[in-house]
Amino acid sequence: MIDLLLDIAIYGIIVSAVSFLVIFFITPPFIKYLNKKGKLVVDYHKPGKPNVPRPAGPVLLIGIVVSEIILYFLIQDTKIISVVLSTIIAFIIGYIDDRKTMPGWFKPVALIFAAVPIIVFGSHGNSLGLIFDSAFIPILYIPLILAIMPIVGNTINSIDVFNGVASGFIIITMMPLLVSVILFGNITVFLMGLPLLFGTIAIYQYHKYPSRIFLGDSGTLLLGSMYAGLSIAGNSEIIAVIALLPAVMNSFLFLASVKKIVEHREVKTRPVSISEDFRLVASKERSAPATLVRLILARGPLSEQEIITKILILATFSSVLAFISIVIQYFFMKGIISL
Amino acid sequence: MRLFDLVMLIFIMWIMIMIVSYFLIFIIGPLHIEIFHNSSDRLITSMIKASSAIGLVVVLILLLGMLKTKYLQKILLRK
Repeated sequence: MIDLLLDIAIYGIIVSAVSFLVIFFITPPFIKYLNKKGKLVVDYHKPGKPNVPRPAGPVLLIGIVVSEIILYFLIQDTKIISVVLSTIIAFIIGYIDDRKTMPGWFKPVALIFAAVPIIVFGSHGNSLGLIFDSAFIPILYIPLILAIMPIVGNTINSIDVFNGVASGFIIITMMPLLVSVILFGNITVFLMGLPLLFGTIAIYQYHKYPSRIFLGDSGTLLLGSMYAGLSIAGNSEIIAVIALLPAVMNSFLFLASVKKIVEHREVKTRPVSISEDFRLVASKERSAPATLVRLILARGPLSEQEIITKILILATFSSVLAFISIVIQYFFMKGIISL
Repeated sequence: MRLFDLVMLIFIMWIMIMIVSYFLIFIIGPLHIEIFHNSSDRLITSMIKASSAIGLVVVLILLLGMLKTKYLQKILLRK
């Protein structure tokens, strides 16, 4: 038992360190490369509207995939291959969108393909954990996986509106997911999650306010799809949904307002505007889509940094709710509580 | 205080997820319907269970939509 725990600890440290160090050290030269190639976008929320390099997706992919390959050689579990393939497919979809402006339906539809490796390799279970017990739904589970991947991928993509929000959000919400995966999934999936957590911590150093690099669609779809893949392979789907509630709410509010799948840039009435002192103001237009940021700004204008802090506070709150759900689910699973 | 409304909104969403989970596990899960007293009963029960579960999720989404509209009217559009 002690030997097993020691192995897990060593593997965990290796893959975490590789992911963190690779991303931390290759990002600065990659920023220089993007600057040199002119792959820059305007950061509209800051005075002077500086140009920021984009995307950080390739460095995230390299760091995470290298550490997952190392983990595969150590453990040799096909779950690793399936989640890595899903992540790579999501990255490619995002990268296409980074290079060429695609219509609104492209990402949600294309991300269905990112779910295929999980199904083909059989990395999913047949039961859906529903806090109080599990529901055995072997057939219904397949379409559910096909839906989870695009929903989570796009949810993380749509929350990436300010410096460091998407990466900060993933770091916070990975905590309950990893705990849930240990309790209700298995150790392999837990180890698979560490490169995502530590890779995201590394990129956060460059993505946080003021951003030196933007994640781009390739980065956010990669993060979201891998998060979804881990939650499916680790039997922790509902816990993941609870942890992501502020982001889910953001996507839901947007969809419920515009009533169709469109890119944010395609929306005619903007949900927020920028004042002369570069504070953000909520739109009073009825036709403007409802978004999380618009609701945060409903009681008055805020600076970009203040909004970022508030979104991350909401992520922390939803993660606490996810932890409470984990405790309830664990007690029910062990028969300590029953109804 | 600015975040209190949103924190409450997220809390209500969590409660709604818990209620739906409860219904799925304790009400819909144990459901068993016998009509023909043969193997087709299992298929019918599964179809009813799946439809009920999907219906419940649709109700959840509609309730969230109503919650959003109320919240928007209360906070954003009253000024």
